[in-house]
Amino acid sequence: MNNIATQRIKREFKEVIKSEELAKCSIKVDLIGDSYTELKGEIAGPPDTPYEGGTFFLEIKVPETYPFNPPKVRFMTKIWHPNISSVTGAICLDILKDQWAAAMTLRTVLLSLQALMAAAEPDDPQDAVVAKQYKEYPEIFAKTASHWTNVYAGGPNKNSDFDTKIQRLIDMGIERDQARGALSTYNWDLERATEQLFS
Amino acid sequence: MSEYDDEDMEYSDQDDYEDYYNADRDVMSPPHNPDAEYFPVQCLTVDEVEKFLNELVEQLCTSIHVTPSMSKVLLYENKWAVQEVLWKYNEDPDKLFVASRMKTLQPVTVKTIRDKFVCPVCVGPVAEELGITSLACGHCYCDNCWRCHFENKIKQGVSTELSCMALNCELLVPEEIVLSTVNKPILRKKYQHFAFREYIKSHPLLRFCPGANCTAVIKSKESLAKKAICTQCETSFCFKCGNDYHAPTDCATIKKWITKCADDSETSNYIAANTKDCPKCNIFIEKNGGCNHMQCLSCKFDFCWMCMGDWKAHGTEYYDCSKYRENPQNGSESARAREALKKYLHYYERWENHSKSLQLEKQTLDKIKERINSKVMTSKGTWIDWQYLLDSATLLAKCRYTLQYTYPYAYYMDNGPKKELFEYQQAKLEAEIENLSWKIERAETTDRGDLENQMDIAEKRRATMLQDFFHI
Repeated sequence: MNNIATQRIKREFKEVIKSEELAKCSIKVDLIGDSYTELKGEIAGPPDTPYEGGTFFLEIKVPETYPFNPPKVRFMTKIWHPNISSVTGAICLDILKDQWAAAMTLRTVLLSLQALMAAAEPDDPQDAVVAKQYKEYPEIFAKTASHWTNVYAGGPNKNSDFDTKIQRLIDMGIERDQARGALSTYNWDLERATEQLFS
Repeated sequence: MSEYDDEDMEYSDQDDYEDYYNADRDVMSPPHNPDAEYFPVQCLTVDEVEKFLNELVEQLCTSIHVTPSMSKVLLYENKWAVQEVLWKYNEDPDKLFVASRMKTLQPVTVKTIRDKFVCPVCVGPVAEELGITSLACGHCYCDNCWRCHFENKIKQGVSTELSCMALNCELLVPEEIVLSTVNKPILRKKYQHFAFREYIKSHPLLRFCPGANCTAVIKSKESLAKKAICTQCETSFCFKCGNDYHAPTDCATIKKWITKCADDSETSNYIAANTKDCPKCNIFIEKNGGCNHMQCLSCKFDFCWMCMGDWKAHGTEYYDCSKYRENPQNGSESARAREALKKYLHYYERWENHSKSLQLEKQTLDKIKERINSKVMTSKGTWIDWQYLLDSATLLAKCRYTLQYTYPYAYYMDNGPKKELFEYQQAKLEAEIENLSWKIERAETTDRGDLENQMDIAEKRRATMLQDFFHI
């Protein structure tokens, strides 16, 4: 890894540790190994959103050409959001692509992601299914996102109605995550989800 | 007072009329070319283009005292309109520089005390021999970071769009800064090459010839959706969008159509299957020439390749197999989808059919040449007597080309009298060129008058189809 990249990451690492966001427990960065090429990010779900109370982990890969090219960031925690793939965790955010500027830091990236969670951009979706639900059935979207936060990110809102439906599919021999995905996709319409799973 | 006003009005009215008539007789206006498709272009080499652009750059430099590299940024951002840049400059230079991404309204002022300066990108102390540079925005970075930034971007193919490293700062880096910082010869060359291409792309009157391996640049006087022909490789294309020339369809529509055809490639594959059955005896028939009037080799049945109906029906009434009839009573979603697909296939089939016929153009010409030779050898007319056949074959190809591009246009037209009229005219042209094609294949020397008559009719019909396109 080249000199500038290592120097930068070391410095940024300190910046995040010192930052007031860490004191408020809203963002955090951890090293994986000691190469400074792979890091683990952590963001708290922003308040007054379906993600509130959840903790989301990120995989951050620092390229050789950092900071002239953006870091590669992906959600490790499953999340229901229009701009984040519900399957792979890939993120659609301009600053992680062509709008990246060398003067940006890991801290600004994490804060931008937090802002993205609070204000989705459904017209520029990563996950078309989620984006459609976000636009057409905002209430179902909020409930689904909150349910996913509860299950995968340790959020507080349990939804027993959803759990019952998932259990019905599990009884039919479907795996839990797959059942949740299908039900979420079909706006928790048990019949349509079943139809799709068995077709 | 009011009387005077009235008089004045009348007087000026009359003046207008006079002006109107005078304008009509204006000898200064360029002679009107009767061919609406006429589009003069110039074919330039890379060196000539470079000279042409440099002249514009110099013109601006001498007028407003900026460096050549600043002048390039100004021209690039303002589509090379020197007069417009000068005009804007005289009005408010700051506004022009801000709009052209050369200045910011509130530059950052960083006190660059050398010893204490920490470059925000590499966050290290700046080595003694390195400089600290900022653009007009005031965002300071060490020269080493600038170099890494430039090299990284150039490798990604960025040139004229190279900007400041600060977040949301869109200030462009002038050429001279890039070239004085980057010292790897390969990257410098790459940068210059990319920048030159970008300059040409940003100039509204310059276009790269889309022909394979052709390096020519085409220059015109206006940016119009007309047919430009490269004199080096003879590729012809629409000057505005660079696709194949597509009158009477406009640039946006043809793009939509081409994408649609590419998307529906599976269907088109199916359609592209070359054979059809004879409607009477069901023998497989492959079409290997331009004409739609087919005669089955085994049962001698004359039929139309397009609608597979009896050709007899085509001679007397007007040729109506180019018109698509929409089936109005359809309720269910799948029926509608099927109807939409049928509609698309109808237009696509005709589009593809003409395109195939055109591909056979060279073959047809060779055949005609062969026929001329054999006729001359058997002393049926002299070589000169037969030349009109080649002219008519060229015209036939031209008509087919236009006709091909009328189908996407018709496909996207709204139903109504306008579309009906258009499809009526389209059918007329189809009929005329089928006639022409049939006559060309069977012409004798004595048919010359008849054939030339037919050519004239076809060309007139073609001009009618293009009328709307050139008079919007």
